[in-house]
Amino acid sequence: MYPDFLYIAPLVFVGFGGILLMLLSPFKQITIRMAAFIALFFMLCATGLYFYNISELYSYYPYAQTFGSMIVADNYSAYFSTILLAGAIFTILIGVHYFEKNRGFTTEFFSLFLFSLFGMMLLVHATELITVLIALEIASLSLYVMIGFQKHLDKRMEASFRYLVLGSISGAFFLLGTAFIYANTQTTKISQIGIFIQNNPQSDVMLLIMGVCFIFITFLFKIAAFPLQNWAIDVYDGAPYPVTAFMAGTFKAAIFGFILRFVLVDLELIIDFWDNILYVVILLTLLYGSFLAIIQQSLKRMLAASSIVHTGYLLIAFISIDITGKSAASSIIFYLVAYFLSSMGAFGLLSYISSDDKVRITYEDFRGFAHIRPYMAAMMSVFMLSLAGIPSTIGFIGKFYIFVAAIESGYTLLAVFGILATFVSIYYYFRLIAIMYFYPSAKMQDVPTLHGMAPYFIGIISLIIIWGGIGNTLITYFPGVDFLMDMARLAYDSLQVK
Amino acid sequence: MANSILAYVTLAMILFSTGLVGVIVRKNIFIIYMSIELLLNAIILLFVALARYYESMDAQVIALFVIAVAAAEAAVFLSLIVVLYRHKKSLNCESFTILAQKDIK
Repeated sequence: MYPDFLYIAPLVFVGFGGILLMLLSPFKQITIRMAAFIALFFMLCATGLYFYNISELYSYYPYAQTFGSMIVADNYSAYFSTILLAGAIFTILIGVHYFEKNRGFTTEFFSLFLFSLFGMMLLVHATELITVLIALEIASLSLYVMIGFQKHLDKRMEASFRYLVLGSISGAFFLLGTAFIYANTQTTKISQIGIFIQNNPQSDVMLLIMGVCFIFITFLFKIAAFPLQNWAIDVYDGAPYPVTAFMAGTFKAAIFGFILRFVLVDLELIIDFWDNILYVVILLTLLYGSFLAIIQQSLKRMLAASSIVHTGYLLIAFISIDITGKSAASSIIFYLVAYFLSSMGAFGLLSYISSDDKVRITYEDFRGFAHIRPYMAAMMSVFMLSLAGIPSTIGFIGKFYIFVAAIESGYTLLAVFGILATFVSIYYYFRLIAIMYFYPSAKMQDVPTLHGMAPYFIGIISLIIIWGGIGNTLITYFPGVDFLMDMARLAYDSLQVK
Repeated sequence: MANSILAYVTLAMILFSTGLVGVIVRKNIFIIYMSIELLLNAIILLFVALARYYESMDAQVIALFVIAVAAAEAAVFLSLIVVLYRHKKSLNCESFTILAQKDIK
């Protein structure tokens, strides 16, 4: 065993980085670029520590006396934190260009960014519902401010306010659920709720079931599933591009990280109770999300609406979790990686193209884009192919595992609906590719050429996506999809370590 | 004892419902904010009542943490209300229509 500090060191690094940047922000010498690199330094240190003991199965409560076993370090939290850190690192690397070009960003932004990341990492480490609430609020409160950071733009302020009001209500529902669970079980620790369920017959857990219903309301709100999805398009549209990318890819992964732990550790015995409700929610999420994505003209709003459809796919795997939830749970974890890469790339490229503070986001603006910027068009095509789930990209493999898990658990109809939604999604993703390539003359002429580091990192993401799709058949020993999948299974196993 | 916890839970639920209705029907963003505070305070009351009922300190500590979270939320809310008022010169939430659910050409 390693010293306790090593297990929480990544959290400490990110939190300390946030405080340091906050203290440095009054100094005029610190430019935005320097602040970004300081933030990157802390995030890279934290990421490095997660690879410290990567291949062995572990589950450990660091400082169990001091923290009262409210924080756990296991393979599961390490896997999710690595996803979150990777998302944050890519956001910064791609976004520096955007932050420098647009008015209103200061060095405090990066401090808030690190705090938000800290909250998300704490969320996947937490094993106690109030710790989860605090982590959720740290992440959300920082995000509210980050969305509204350019306070001279009305659009940002409105998006921030909408998210703040709705997010606070969902936080209140989470607390109400926690209160009900506490009233029933006299504990808020995630592992002990499971023990309570095992020791008590079904009839004694009615209050607990109500409490978990309220927590699921928060969960469905934060991932933008059907009845609670309306905020997503507006807020994603109103936020700056890098923040949108960060929310779409990373925050969703963090929320799933918490709820999967909660469900897999505690609720395996009574999860069937919610199957009927979730079934309807999934069908309507897929249907309504596809409808919303089809009618959008603006690319950013289309990507936001399609993220609702991707939530639907993730929920298909979520409902497929049963007593032996291994393949369903690991397919969710894998799909989160695939989705975060694809959406990060798409939003990142859009932010690069529109980074000179001109509004240029509709489909029509991309007419003939491939003729002036062939490399950017190629990268955009890769992201669209991956989001649509075409073979030879990582998106296909993610969808494949999800539908296999659904069929294995007997939800064949849901798998069929998911595949139908994928067919529909080809319309709105391929429309962009068609517009980029099939028109002879380009509409926009003043796109920045490839310079700076952002295009290289966007290129790296697109290579990772293709590597994820075909890599393992080419070179066996280099880590690819199988590696990610094995790690996801290991993460699932570490939840069962007692 | 059992009767008193019932009274407190009922009161907390009435407060929670009042807050929820307030968020939904009121147009003034300041009153929306106060309704959200009411939601959180209802839950704090619930936790404190449970702490008394179970005679345990856990729920009291939780209540303190919830107060801290509510304070952090208040900071963001109030600053945002000030900025929104400077932009629009109005506190009516119907004046915020840029991101309405329509397609922006």
